[in-house]
Amino acid sequence: MNLKMPDLSTTGSPIKVVRWLVEVGDFVERGQAIVEVETDKATMELEALGPGTLLQQLVPVGSEASAGDVLAVIDETQAGSTVIGNSHTANEVSYHRDFLLNLYERMLLIRQFEDRVKALFLEGSMPGTIHQCQGQEATAVGVCAALRPDDFITSTFRGHGHALAKGLTVQEMLDELFGGVTGCCKGKGGSMHIGNIGKGMIPGIAIVAGGIPVATGMALAFRMRKTQEIVACFFGDGAVAEGAFHEALNMAALWNLPVLFVCENNLYGASTRIDQVMKNTKVSDRAASYGFRGETVDGNDVLAVYEAASQAAQECRSGRGPVLLELETYRRSGHSRRDPCHYQPKEERAFWSANDPIIRFAQALLVDGNADLDDLDRIQKRVDDEIESAVEKAKTTPKPGIEDLLTDVYAS
Amino acid sequence: MMEAPTIVIIGEEVGAYGGAYGVTKGLLKEFGKERVIDSPISEAGFVGAAVGAAMSGLRPVAELMYIDFSGIAMDQIANQAAKIRYMFGGQMGVPMVLRTQGGTGRSAAAQHSQSLEGWFLHVPGLRVALPGTVSDAYHLLRASLRLADPVVFIEHKALYVQKGKLDPTQADADWGRAVVRRPGDQVTVVTYSRMLTYALAAAENAAGHGVEAEVIDLRTLNPLDLETVSDSVTKTGRAIVVTEACLTGGPAAEISARIQEECFDFLEEPILRIAGEDVPIPVAPALETSSVPTVELITEVIRKLVR
Ligand SMILES: Cc1ncc(C[n+]2csc(CCOP(=O)(O)OP(=O)(O)O)c2C)c(N)n1
Ligand SMILES: [Mg+2]
Repeated sequence: MNLKMPDLSTTGSPIKVVRWLVEVGDFVERGQAIVEVETDKATMELEALGPGTLLQQLVPVGSEASAGDVLAVIDETQAGSTVIGNSHTANEVSYHRDFLLNLYERMLLIRQFEDRVKALFLEGSMPGTIHQCQGQEATAVGVCAALRPDDFITSTFRGHGHALAKGLTVQEMLDELFGGVTGCCKGKGGSMHIGNIGKGMIPGIAIVAGGIPVATGMALAFRMRKTQEIVACFFGDGAVAEGAFHEALNMAALWNLPVLFVCENNLYGASTRIDQVMKNTKVSDRAASYGFRGETVDGNDVLAVYEAASQAAQECRSGRGPVLLELETYRRSGHSRRDPCHYQPKEERAFWSANDPIIRFAQALLVDGNADLDDLDRIQKRVDDEIESAVEKAKTTPKPGIEDLLTDVYAS
Repeated sequence: MMEAPTIVIIGEEVGAYGGAYGVTKGLLKEFGKERVIDSPISEAGFVGAAVGAAMSGLRPVAELMYIDFSGIAMDQIANQAAKIRYMFGGQMGVPMVLRTQGGTGRSAAAQHSQSLEGWFLHVPGLRVALPGTVSDAYHLLRASLRLADPVVFIEHKALYVQKGKLDPTQADADWGRAVVRRPGDQVTVVTYSRMLTYALAAAENAAGHGVEAEVIDLRTLNPLDLETVSDSVTKTGRAIVVTEACLTGGPAAEISARIQEECFDFLEEPILRIAGEDVPIPVAPALETSSVPTVELITEVIRKLVR
C-alpha cells in the first residue's frame, strides 16, 4: 500500500515534507499520522489508510512533492498480520486460527509429500536421487509465511520443502520428480532443481553455496530497480565453509541488500557433523564479522521462525538488510536416497524426534484450543488426498521426447 | 598408502563415510585421521591445501566428489598446481593427484553429470588420466601416484558397478601408453573411460555384420599416446573418436586433429567424431541417455564408415 500525496494545493504548487512521524520499520495503525507536510497555506498530517509496517520514506524532509507522488510504502500484507492484534511485538501477538492451521497444513503437506516420495523412490519408480527434509518443515514454512507472494527464495538440492512452502503445487513437483514434461522444469531438472520462478522460487541450485551469491545479485537488482521485493536464500550449515558464502555475505553487507540469508543448521553436511568441520559452530556469528545482524532461532518452532523471519524481512525491506538467520533443526531422513544415516547417534535422533516440529506444533494447537483432533484429522486427510491424486497423475505424465533434448539451451 | 607414507587423502566424506561412491571405504580405519582427512565443504580450500602440501613433501590425493565442483577449485588447479613448476623456473613441482568422477548414467542432472576432461586438457602443466577398466582404476592410479606432476584422475560414476579381475601383483600401468583393447583391421575407434565399454560392445555388434573395428583405450589424454593410435589408423585407414564429453571444443576435436596431422596420407575417409550433445545433462532418463553416444549409434557409424 502506498501513501500518496493528496491534492492539497489549489494552486498546484508543490508541497513540502516537514517531518516524518513514524520510523521505517515501525508498525502503524489505520488512521495514524505518518508525515507532516506543508502547503502554501497550512501544515497538516497525513494518515495511514490501513494498518501495516512503514517500509520506506520516499521523500526526505525538506523536499517537495506533487499531488499523486508516493510518499511512503506501507506493508499490510504480511501473512500473520491478517490478525496481528494491536501490537507488533512478538510476545503479545495473537494469531488468527486460520493462519495457524495453514502453517500446520503446509508443514504436514511437506512431511507427507516427502514420505510418499521416499516410498516411490524405494519402489524404483522415480529416477535419480533425492535429498529430503523430513524434520525441517518448520524452517521452510516459517520463513515463507513471512514473505510476500512476490518475494523470492533460492534453494538447494534439498528443496522440496521450500517449494511446497512457497506455493508450488504437489503436481508440478511430482511430475518433475518423475522426469515428466509437465514438471516445473519440464523434466530437465529433477529433484535437485525444483522451483518455479512464477511462484517466486528460483529452482534449486545443487552446488553447495552456489545459490548464495545468486541471491545476493537478485537483491542487488531489486534495490537498483527500486522494487519492494526481497529474497530469502536457503542453504545448509555445510555451505558456511565455502568461499562463496563469505564473499556474498560481505557484498550484501557492503551494499545493504534486501537479502535474508537462511541457514538451516541441521548439524550435518552429508554425513559429517558440523563440529568436525568448524570450530565456531554458531553460524549466526558470521554475520557480525561482516557488519550486519545474525540471529540463531529454534528452527523447529514454526512461530519462532515466522517471527524472526518477519522481523528480518522487514529490516531487509526498509534498507536495513541483509540479515542472517540460523535455524537450528534436524534432518530425520538420510542425506540422500541411499544414505542409511548410521552416523546420527541414537540419543541424538531420539532427542530430535521428541522435538519434531509438526508434533510440537500440533500439541500447541491442541493445548491452546486452536484445533481439536478432528481438525487435525481433517487436515491430514485433505493433505493425503491431494498427494495421492497427484501421484496417480504423475505416474503417467508424458516424458520429454528427443525433440526436447536441445530446447532451452539458448533463448533462440 | 602402505608403501608410501607421504600419501594422504583429503576430501569431503572420504573418511568415516568412505566416499560418496564408496571409493575410500576402509581407509580411515586402516590409515587413521592424519592421513585420511574429512574436509569441510571447501573445494578451493582443500584442493589448494593439497597443492601446498604437495610442494612441501607430501603426496596428496585430493578428492572432488563430483568433477562438476571443480569450478570452485579451478584457480588452485589451473593457476597453481599446473603452473608452479614452470612459472617458478623448475624450483619445485606439485606431485598430487586430483581424484574425481564424472559422467552421466544416474539421472543426476546438469550439475552432477558432466564430462569435463576437456577443461583440464586445455591447461598445460596438468596430466589427465581416465581409467576405463577395473584394472586401470587401480594400476593407472598407482602410476599416477609416482609422477612428479599434478594428475587429474577422472573416474566414471557408471563404471563403479563394473566388475572385473584385478591382479594386485601386476606392474603399474605403463603411464602414458594407450592400449589396443580389441584388434581389428577395417576401422580404428579411439576412446577412453566409459565409452570404452560402449565402443567394445559396438565393435562386437559390427563384427556380427562383418566389420572388424580396432578399439583403442587412450587411458591418458595428457600425455596423448599418438603412436599407438597412428599405428592403428595407418593400418585401418579409418578413424572414429568417441567421447562422452560434448562435441564443441572437446577432447574429440583435439584427438581428431592430431590423427589428421599424423596420418593424413593413410586416411581413406574423413575422421568422424561421436560425442555428447552440446547440452547440459537432462534428468529424465530417456533424454539423459540420448544426450551422450549410445552403443547403437557407435555401431551404426562404424558400419557406415566401412561400407
Ligand atoms: C560445491 C559442492 N560440494 C559438494 C557437494 C556434494 N554435497 C551435496 S549436499 C552436501 C552436504 C551439504 O550439507 P549442508 O550444506 O549442511 O546441507 P544439508 O544437506 O544438511 O541440507 C554435499 C557435500 C555439492 N553438491 N556441491
Ligand atoms: Mg546440513
